[in-house]
Amino acid sequence: MTALPTEKIDAVIVGSGAAGSHFAARLAQAGKRVAILEAGPARENEDLVSSMLWARRLKGSGAPVLETGKDTVGYGFNAGRGVGGSSMHHYAVWPRMHENDFRVKSLYGRSRDWPIGYADLQAYYDRVQDECGIAGEHRMESTRPPGAPYPMPRVPVFEQGRIVGHGFEAMGMKVSPLPLAVTTRAFRGRPQCMWDGWCDAGCPIGALANAQTVHLPQAQAAGATLHPDTEVVRVLTDASGKRATGVEAITKDGQRVKVMADVVVLAAFTIQNPRLLLASATAQHPDGLANASGTLGRFITGHMAVPVFGLHEKETNPGFGASGGQLLNQEHYDDKNAHKAKGAFGSYQWMIAQAMKPNGLLGIASSRPDLRGKALSEFMERASRHMITMTGVVEDEALAENRVTLSARKDAAGVPLASVAHTSSKASNALWDVAAAEGVRVFEAAGAKEAWHANRAPMHIMGGTVMGESAANSVTNSYGQCHDVPNLFIGGAGLFPTSAAVNPTFTLHALSARSVEHLVANWSAAVG
Amino acid sequence: MHAHPTRRELLKAGGVGLLTFTLGGSVVKLSPAEAQAAGVPLAALTREEADTLAALGERLVPGSREAGVVAFVDYQLAASSGDCMLMLQYLGVDPPFTPFYREGLAALNVAARALYKLPFAELQDAPADALVDALAEGKIEGWTGPPPPLFYFVVRNDACDVTYGTEKGFAALGVPYAAHITPPSAWGEPS
Ligand SMILES: Cc1cc2nc3c(=O)[nH]c(=O)nc-3n(C[C@H](O)[C@H](O)[C@H](O)COP(=O)(O)OP(=O)(O)OC[C@H]3O[C@@H](n4cnc5c(N)ncnc54)[C@H](O)[C@@H]3O)c2cc1C
Ligand code: SF4
Repeated sequence: MTALPTEKIDAVIVGSGAAGSHFAARLAQAGKRVAILEAGPARENEDLVSSMLWARRLKGSGAPVLETGKDTVGYGFNAGRGVGGSSMHHYAVWPRMHENDFRVKSLYGRSRDWPIGYADLQAYYDRVQDECGIAGEHRMESTRPPGAPYPMPRVPVFEQGRIVGHGFEAMGMKVSPLPLAVTTRAFRGRPQCMWDGWCDAGCPIGALANAQTVHLPQAQAAGATLHPDTEVVRVLTDASGKRATGVEAITKDGQRVKVMADVVVLAAFTIQNPRLLLASATAQHPDGLANASGTLGRFITGHMAVPVFGLHEKETNPGFGASGGQLLNQEHYDDKNAHKAKGAFGSYQWMIAQAMKPNGLLGIASSRPDLRGKALSEFMERASRHMITMTGVVEDEALAENRVTLSARKDAAGVPLASVAHTSSKASNALWDVAAAEGVRVFEAAGAKEAWHANRAPMHIMGGTVMGESAANSVTNSYGQCHDVPNLFIGGAGLFPTSAAVNPTFTLHALSARSVEHLVANWSAAVG
Repeated sequence: MHAHPTRRELLKAGGVGLLTFTLGGSVVKLSPAEAQAAGVPLAALTREEADTLAALGERLVPGSREAGVVAFVDYQLAASSGDCMLMLQYLGVDPPFTPFYREGLAALNVAARALYKLPFAELQDAPADALVDALAEGKIEGWTGPPPPLFYFVVRNDACDVTYGTEKGFAALGVPYAAHITPPSAWGEPS
């Protein structure tokens, strides 16, 4: 294992997932001395065993996160731990956010605005898609905001996708190829995807874009060092409280160490970033670091997924394709008041025809948790050949009371546990109901013999360290730079002031690209 | 037994889905079902708990007793938390997980004895099914274990995992497995 730096370096990065690896690659390539500290273990390709059972070894097992509220955000399932973080076993559905997602407050008078608009991110989306590779067809994706054509041909549509696509068309709705950061041809040294549906267990051939396949190799080639089993417990500041000086961490053998750096980047995922900042309170920052505004930890949002299922008389081969799906529908996305008459607010999208394995939380058997005994056996016989599925991604209104706080309970290192309270607004719940009813109608129109939806399932966690124009009501500026501590940067979807209704990872990469470019160009000003 | 090797050692070792046990001083290799039949010592559960779990698993997911639901859960409960394959770890329950199973299985037996004067594993089909229905609906009077619908969901998933989630399980459904990396063993047990 590489030794931790003992002298001050340029940048210490907390977390080796999507955001952390992206920052590390760019900073190291700009000639900065960079160390990445990762709480979880090293992960190699050989760890990515194709099994929904073995896959569980890759997922969260850090200090527990306590959850309260009616609509919990499901940290245990939605987080990842170990090199690559959750990026390593994510499904790579990468749509762009839409123009109205950035201006919810000014357009609709509710929730929040982003400090930037789509136009500010467009070039970064283009750059990220060129680097990471996205398969899609921009001419067919009529709801896609402006941008460069996708660098890889569209994802193939298999029987399951064809059947559900017909359902949408029968209802006068359009589907387009799903934008997927998966290789539909050999791409930048990565081989073509085999459509075997094992993405949830991690893709050992490197067909899917994640920290391991894109940014970590770049970072390490440029000299960044990676330190697994090293959990950061505190961000350190100088006597003035205006500058971060490094971090304190605990190594695998229980040693407490300090890594000093000119710049600190927190990229430990949504709940852990605010937890660390709250736990790093000092006399100058009594309510937590970078929390002069009182917004730290607030505006946690979570997409409430709508799982829709059906059984079709045709064989659908549901285990194959990609875990992310084959097709996309964003019918009413651009009018967040489209369902106002039903008390609903926000956007939603459908990810269509995901690959489903027989077991697991998202597996075939879990689609009918009520079935048992002989009825379950018969269902499994049929469903493993005839299942169709899609998942709705529903916008979650940003509310100040949905927040991370510190619990009185502490982990083994003495850091208070994060407690997350989350209850969706009435309007977000009403939108979920609209989507669920529509989903079942689509499956009936597709000719399903049976069609049903399951309960709300939390997916993607955002907010908690939101960016904004004013230091009075946000944690960072649009570059993820903390208002109160200018050499402390945050990466990840925790910066999102609102959740939108698209999967977050493409946007968090576009933000990271923009942030790190700004940081490199304004290094001395940031370091102070 | 159950000296848990690291993940990497396991991967190097490869495997054929057999568990290694020490019986009467000598090391033997048994399939999970054989292990259960041979009364192999359990690492985390008691014999009564194991019998209850096997009976409940079988009632929820036919075939799960033979597929080794007890060996699976018992092995995972004794494994280090970083290597855990139980779905329970996603469901907002704090580790260690043994008390969750222990309390749920005990509560089920308390209910079976109160209603039918027999432990759950010895019930006939009709009373056992009635009790499972009540469990799923959360309608067991005096229940003291984890929330009954959660306990039902978790054990049902464990039973699905061993019955449908292994290479054998896929084959029984007629679904191609098509692994990138073939699991060295069904659920991490030493070979
Ligand atoms: C099953 C699943 C499917 C998904 N599918 C999609 C999808 O299709 N499309 C999409 O856009 N998104 C998807 N996501 C979400 C996606 O994984 C995340 O948006 C993304 O990985 C977040 O990036 P991140 O860098 O913020 O966090 P991560 O990638 O999770 O990385 C955070 C890292 O920080 C480490 N860490 C935490 N605390 C500390 C500490 N104190 N010290 C040091 N290190 C620490 C963690 O161990 C982890 O490795 C999915 C997620 C899951 C779980
Ligand atoms: S379906 Fe494609 S991306 Fe997913 S695991 Fe298989 S090869 Fe990798």
